[in-house]
Amino acid sequence: MSAATELAGLTATALQVLAVVAGAPFIVGGMRQVRARLEGRAGGGIGQPWRDLHKQLRKQQITPAGTTVVFGFAPAVVAGTTLLIAAILPLIALGSPLDSAADLFGVVGLLFLGTVALTLAGLDTGTAFGGMGSSREITIAALVEPTILLAVFALSVPGHSANLAAIVSATADHPGQLVSPGSLLAFVALAIVIIAETGRLPVDNPSTHLELTMIHEAMILEYAGPKLALVEWASGMRLTVLLGLMANLFLPWGVAGAQPSALAVLIGFVAISVKVAVLAGVLATGEVFIAKLRYFRIPELLAGSFLLALLAVTASYFFATPT
Amino acid sequence: MTQATYNGVLNLAAGAFLLAAVLIVWRRELRSIVVLLAWQGLALAAIPVTEGIYHDDAALIIVGVVVLLLRAVVLPLLLVRAVGTEPHERRESTPLVNTTTSLLITAALTVLAYAVTRPIIALDPSPATRAVPAAFAVILIAVFVMVSRRRALSQAVGFMMLDNGIAATAFLITAGVPLIVELGASLDVMFAVLVLGLLTGAMRRTFGGTDLDQLRELRG
Amino acid sequence: MSFLLVLPILAPLTAAALAAVLGWRPLTASVTVVAALCVLVTGVILGFTNGSGVRFAIANLFRTDALSITMLIVIGTVGTLATWASVGYIDAELTHGHTDAKGANLYGVLVPVFLAAMASAVLANNIGVMWVAIEATTVATAFLVGHRRTRAALEATWKYVVICSVGIALAFLGTVLLYFASLHAGATSGDALNIDVLLAHASRLDPAVTRLAAGLLLLGYGAKAGLVPFHTWLADAHSQAPAPVSALMSGVLLSVAFYALLRVKSVVDLAVGTGFLRTGLIIVGLLTLLIAASLLVVQTDFKRMLAYSSMENMGLVAVAAAAGTKLAIAALLLHVLAHGIAKTLVFLGSGQLQAAHDSTRISDVTGVLARSRMVGVTFLVGLAILLGLPPFAMFASELSISRALAGAHLGWVLGAALLLVVIAFAALVRNGTRMLLGPPNPGSPAIAVPRSVAAALVAGVVLSLLLGLTVGPMLELFQTAATVLGGTR
Repeated sequence: MSAATELAGLTATALQVLAVVAGAPFIVGGMRQVRARLEGRAGGGIGQPWRDLHKQLRKQQITPAGTTVVFGFAPAVVAGTTLLIAAILPLIALGSPLDSAADLFGVVGLLFLGTVALTLAGLDTGTAFGGMGSSREITIAALVEPTILLAVFALSVPGHSANLAAIVSATADHPGQLVSPGSLLAFVALAIVIIAETGRLPVDNPSTHLELTMIHEAMILEYAGPKLALVEWASGMRLTVLLGLMANLFLPWGVAGAQPSALAVLIGFVAISVKVAVLAGVLATGEVFIAKLRYFRIPELLAGSFLLALLAVTASYFFATPT
Repeated sequence: MTQATYNGVLNLAAGAFLLAAVLIVWRRELRSIVVLLAWQGLALAAIPVTEGIYHDDAALIIVGVVVLLLRAVVLPLLLVRAVGTEPHERRESTPLVNTTTSLLITAALTVLAYAVTRPIIALDPSPATRAVPAAFAVILIAVFVMVSRRRALSQAVGFMMLDNGIAATAFLITAGVPLIVELGASLDVMFAVLVLGLLTGAMRRTFGGTDLDQLRELRG
Repeated sequence: MSFLLVLPILAPLTAAALAAVLGWRPLTASVTVVAALCVLVTGVILGFTNGSGVRFAIANLFRTDALSITMLIVIGTVGTLATWASVGYIDAELTHGHTDAKGANLYGVLVPVFLAAMASAVLANNIGVMWVAIEATTVATAFLVGHRRTRAALEATWKYVVICSVGIALAFLGTVLLYFASLHAGATSGDALNIDVLLAHASRLDPAVTRLAAGLLLLGYGAKAGLVPFHTWLADAHSQAPAPVSALMSGVLLSVAFYALLRVKSVVDLAVGTGFLRTGLIIVGLLTLLIAASLLVVQTDFKRMLAYSSMENMGLVAVAAAAGTKLAIAALLLHVLAHGIAKTLVFLGSGQLQAAHDSTRISDVTGVLARSRMVGVTFLVGLAILLGLPPFAMFASELSISRALAGAHLGWVLGAALLLVVIAFAALVRNGTRMLLGPPNPGSPAIAVPRSVAAALVAGVVLSLLLGLTVGPMLELFQTAATVLGGTR
């Protein structure tokens, strides 16, 4: 690879990470604004999450008595893994320097690492809410992680590679695959688990603090000040990153190639921003019309999506005919 | 019809067929599972019709239309009428196996079906035969539904699904069995469902409900 | 000659049509008896004129060979006895108010349809047609089982229909897979399911697919024959049905379902070797014997006791089929015929006991021999046959089955089967003596026996004696049938 293209690849990756860091609060704000408008409220504006983060960063750091380094480091772990995922995923361009690590299993492992870190932090506080939130979160994660693996694996079968960049480029080259039974089932399964993983309705209400309905909020209840800002930011970044993954897996057009030019990088940036924004808007609109599921019904939903993902894998394997 | 279209439609029909079975395991409202059964009948009928169009076989197309009328219209209508009008009759009581476990068992049964049908695909690796695992999976899922449900009507739906799965297998691997056997099989299915429907009515009159747990007089 | 081949199916269908139009009356009931007699007579005539050949009719859809003739004779004998008894039985039920005119009409139509379906099954050359006929028997007997409209009868009907329909559906899947294998072995699509075509192509059938088909067919037809694991409907259905129907179901239907298995076995053994179905039949047969014997020990209801005895006998028949030698199959067929007549005797007698006591509990019935010579003696004879006592035929058949098992190097199977049969023997003897011997309880009701039931009982006893003392002409038929099935040695 020549120096110029290598530089272009590095630029694309850096741009990806910066875009995710900067854009995540805007995505969260945008979703809240769409919901507010649809519900007939004025809303706080797209920039409100940024203002909240700014406020929290200036507060005093408080650590609850009896917590250990787990509680202290968890926000950093979550943020760090998410940034790493943002660097690995083929969001703007396919050729990233970390391409060899852009494996499906690696990405899922990093996601799970972040989830586990936060879960342990919830347990570390020793409060009832923390423990309850952690146990609920890990129940959901137990069903969500295998499903993500299976759903993306189903998409990887036609391309014969578990490398995410390869999957995206394979889909871009053969758009007809998107309407095969395997892809359709994988899309549905992936949509359900992304909603579960990022804690949106109908699995978890991101704005509730009622004991009956909290999952994610219960784990982070004891965080305040800068650590809370980091945790909230990391959650927003996870949402952005997962929406970006979904967008590029199923709508891969606009992604810059393996050795991109500057113009291609710019086009890729605009394309991914638009796609993620649209997906976020659709998700927010959907949330207005759905009620939260009762907690004991969530494993049913997730088991169903696991089954759909399994069917997607079998459909991709066994219905594959030589074209 | 081109080879690619034939493959695509067949795969889609088999996929929809299996998906309907999965949704029948998931849902608990009696009315919705009968509607899902009707959709499954539609997906089933698509298979012989597609094969008939691809192989220019008019008899197959006619058989497909008859299957459509019988399994997507007549029999679900019979079952809907037997669902009853009281609200407490409309829902399945808590099944013997909860929904989450049922769905996971369904996943295991699907994998089992793929394993069991390997000799069939090995004998005849055509696009139609490669969709047989889906039909076989529906058969296994249907037996599971019959075993784990408590309402008489859910068992009847499970039986119909079993029969749909077997018919799908027959259409996929051999483009149907000889006409006389297919006719006889369809008539028998119709009679069996009629009998089940009548029995459900008699059960409601005698036992005051159709919960099968009430049938416990004969033991030992 | 072709007319003779389809007479066993047409005659009962005509009787059914007549009953549908005219309702239950002496004329239609007698016509049904005549139709059953036609089946028997046809079987006998064919038996004399057929020899060792195979004959086909109606575009090769129907066949007669020694095996189907044997089954026709079984159906005809038990059918005649049962329909003859039905005349008096239903009339008695009508007078005592246990059933109404609608119920009697339904009975009058469904019984000959049932007979016609069974005849079609044993005369079919096409395995698919055989399947359709056996499925038709389930549908026909469903409302016969529920004839009495009690809660228990309804429960029995539901279980019967659901379990047998699942079993028969699995058998259909097996049939489809066999069709698939047959097509790929070179048969043309029109007659790929014909038994003669299947036998001819058997060596070319794909082994893995055939094994899958054989397993499904064993499970499916085993369900109809009352074999494990789909056996749970048997005791309920046979005990709740009216007595003549119980006799028909226990005596013949189970055997007809097993006949289907025998036909399939002859094809499968040629395709994948005898080991596969032999192992399957041994496992299924021994488990059935085990469950039947265990449940016989704890029985408190005499009709269920008789039903479990049928299950025990079917288990024994399955084990005999596993041996597969000529002697085993011939003995099996004799066993089936003798068992059919014996079950008719005991079920008809128990029907009268139920009518007298309005209950089927063993503890309620005592001193039958003292109270009614007719029912007592015939029930005793029937029990003696079932217990395998000489001079009746089941002694000879069980002895031959034991010899065949020993000769086929299945000594351990023989040991296990004998042990379980002895347990069943003990249970039957204990309950039988409790019911028959000794003085009756004070206040026991009188046992009335309608004339036609009495006639049927006497005829049954005579036939059993004849069969036991002189197997003679039947023996050749059985042996030819065994050869037809490809029995070795």
